[in-house]
Amino acid sequence: MTRHKPFAVAVMLLMASMVAPADNVIVVRDAWVREAPPGASVLAAYFTLENPGSKADKLVAVLSPDFDKIEIHATEIRAGVARMIALDALPLPPHAVVTLAPGGHHLMLHQPRRALAAGMSIKLELRFESGAHLTVVAPVRRAESRAMHH
Amino acid sequence: MTRNALISVSLVAALGIILVLGYLAGRTFRDPARAISVAGMTVLEPASPLPEFRLLDQNNQVFDRARLQGKWSYVFFGYTHCPDICPTTLVVLRDVQKLAGGQEQGIQYIFVSVDPDRDNAATLKNYLPYFHPEFIGATGGRDELMRLTRAVGAYYEIGETRGGRYEVHHSAAIFLIDPEARLRALFAGPHDAARLAQGLQRLQGN
Repeated sequence: MTRHKPFAVAVMLLMASMVAPADNVIVVRDAWVREAPPGASVLAAYFTLENPGSKADKLVAVLSPDFDKIEIHATEIRAGVARMIALDALPLPPHAVVTLAPGGHHLMLHQPRRALAAGMSIKLELRFESGAHLTVVAPVRRAESRAMHH
Repeated sequence: MTRNALISVSLVAALGIILVLGYLAGRTFRDPARAISVAGMTVLEPASPLPEFRLLDQNNQVFDRARLQGKWSYVFFGYTHCPDICPTTLVVLRDVQKLAGGQEQGIQYIFVSVDPDRDNAATLKNYLPYFHPEFIGATGGRDELMRLTRAVGAYYEIGETRGGRYEVHHSAAIFLIDPEARLRALFAGPHDAARLAQGLQRLQGN
């Protein structure tokens, strides 16, 4: 047993480096979920992703125990018309900071499995193309407009 | 005496010319839509009268052209299943209400659902008070919706159904209707409450 310990540690280190290469640890900041108005069956989540590494990565999936399905969306305004576009993945180029914010990119959270009100929080598991996983806890908040933050 | 009279006449004439020029300059300065516009706002000169249309509000009351008369109205088109841009815009309108005023000041805020298959009076009555108890919700048949959207130049389109649900693509603009039920201005997104309130104040001449 003792004899195998260095080997086990080596394997663990190797696995850890495969799951989340030290060079490419994506950072998630300021995650929050917009409290849904009554009757709404979809919510939106927002956060900032930072790729401090020199390798490109992608956010490919998001899971949560609180929702049946989560999609990565972009709200695009083209010729004055707002369209919601479902994305297969969200690219995270090297050294990029990608912000999901109201009126732009967002996660669309389908069919909440429990009633979610401001003050509660939900878990989001972010999966990246590199194989890395990240779990973030996002508080549910009532949205205020940007103008009022000035 | 004659010389004094000549000087008087010249002075009066000069004063007259200055007054006329001043008046013309003032008119040019005051009148163009550009002078009253704010960033992101397009002012219609002249304002464009709306046709008759018939929708229902969240209390199942008729919402027609007459409901736009005698008040300024901010109008936004969207749908309640919209997770991002619609709640974002309604939060901005809530802030405009704080800045510009509401029913008491002769200003109303109208959310027109362009998703009548999923939205009705009950849905809107449940949804809108979350943003503001005074907000008016309205929807109706596609033909009636079209009469209003076409008149203001709003666009909407039902997206394809994926996994049993669909999105509605719609104009991001907020439309401003004057108390004579005419389209007076529109604001392109992204929306800013202070600019929306200021745009109306300029049109009101404040």
